[in-house]
Amino acid sequence: MKNKNKQTKFPVARIKRIMQKDEEVGKVAQATPIVISKALELFLGLIIEEANKVTADRGSKKVEAYHLKHAVENVDMLDFLKEIVEAVPDPSAGGTIDLNAESTEKEKKRRGKGKRAEGGGPSAPRKRRRKAGKEEEEEEEGPEPEADNTYDNGNGKQNVDDEEWDG
Amino acid sequence: MSDHEGHGGAAPGTDDDLSLPKATVAKMIAELLPNDVACAKETRDLVIECCVEFIHLISSEANEICEQESKKTIAPEHIIAALKRLGFETFTEEVEDVLKDHKQQVKEREKKVGKLEASGLTEEELLRQQEELFAASRAKFQSTQQ
Repeated sequence: MKNKNKQTKFPVARIKRIMQKDEEVGKVAQATPIVISKALELFLGLIIEEANKVTADRGSKKVEAYHLKHAVENVDMLDFLKEIVEAVPDPSAGGTIDLNAESTEKEKKRRGKGKRAEGGGPSAPRKRRRKAGKEEEEEEEGPEPEADNTYDNGNGKQNVDDEEWDG
Repeated sequence: MSDHEGHGGAAPGTDDDLSLPKATVAKMIAELLPNDVACAKETRDLVIECCVEFIHLISSEANEICEQESKKTIAPEHIIAALKRLGFETFTEEVEDVLKDHKQQVKEREKKVGKLEASGLTEEELLRQQEELFAASRAKFQSTQQ
C-alpha cells in the first residue's frame, strides 16, 4: 500500500553540507536549506515525471537509466544534467562497443584472450563476467552467429574455460 | 541541530562521499510513480546524482546573487531568485509558500517562549516543575513495570 501523502523529506543538514562543499559558498541562513529541500522535491518530481513518460512510451513498467537520459535530452530545464547522463548507453544502438571507455577496456581484455568480438565469431556460452549488467544482457540476447571460425583459437571448439572466469 | 539521518547506507563520513540517502530518495520516487511502475536501482542512483547537481547549480547561482547584493549569508530569497534565473520559475510559488510557513512557525515558537517568560516563573521554578513532572512519570512507568 503506497503512501501518497509525500511525508518523506530530504535531510536539511545534509543539503547544507552539500551546498558548502562548494568553496565559494559561505554562510547559509537556517531557512535556506529548508527552501532548497522544497525545490529539490519539485525537481525530483519533474525528472521522475519526465522519465516515466519515456518509460510509458516504450511500454515498459520499469524506469531505466536510459529513460532518464532521454528525458534530460527532451527537456530544456534539464540541460545541466546532460553530462551526468552522457555515460548511459542506449540499448537501441545495438552493440556496446566503444560506447564508453569502460566497455572498451573490457573489450580489449576479451580480445586479448579469446579473440572474440562482441556479437561476432563463435559466441561463448553464457558466462558470469564481472561487468555491467547491460553488457551481460547484450551477450545473452545475441544470437548464435554462423559458425565462422575466423575468430577462434584455430580448433573450432567453443572455449568454455579459457575466458576470464572471475567466479 | 541534531539530525538523525537514519538509513541503511554509509554514514556521512568524508565530505567527498556527500550524497543524499538512498532509502529516502527511493521512497520519494515510489511515491511519485504510478503504483504499477518501478524504478531501476541504476536509475535511482543516477537520480541522486542529478539532485546533488541541482543543489550545486542553485547554490552557485544563489551565491552570486547574494554577492551582488553585498550580503554574506545566502538567504532563501536568493534561492528563489536563483530558481527564476535558471528557468525554474514553476517552482517558485510552492517554494515561497514553504518559506512563509517556516517564518510563521518561527514566529509561533518565539511567541511560546514569550509566554513562558510572561508566566512569571523563574528558570529555577521551571526546572523544579520539570523535575516533578519527570519524577511523576518515572513513578508511573515503574509501577507499570511491576
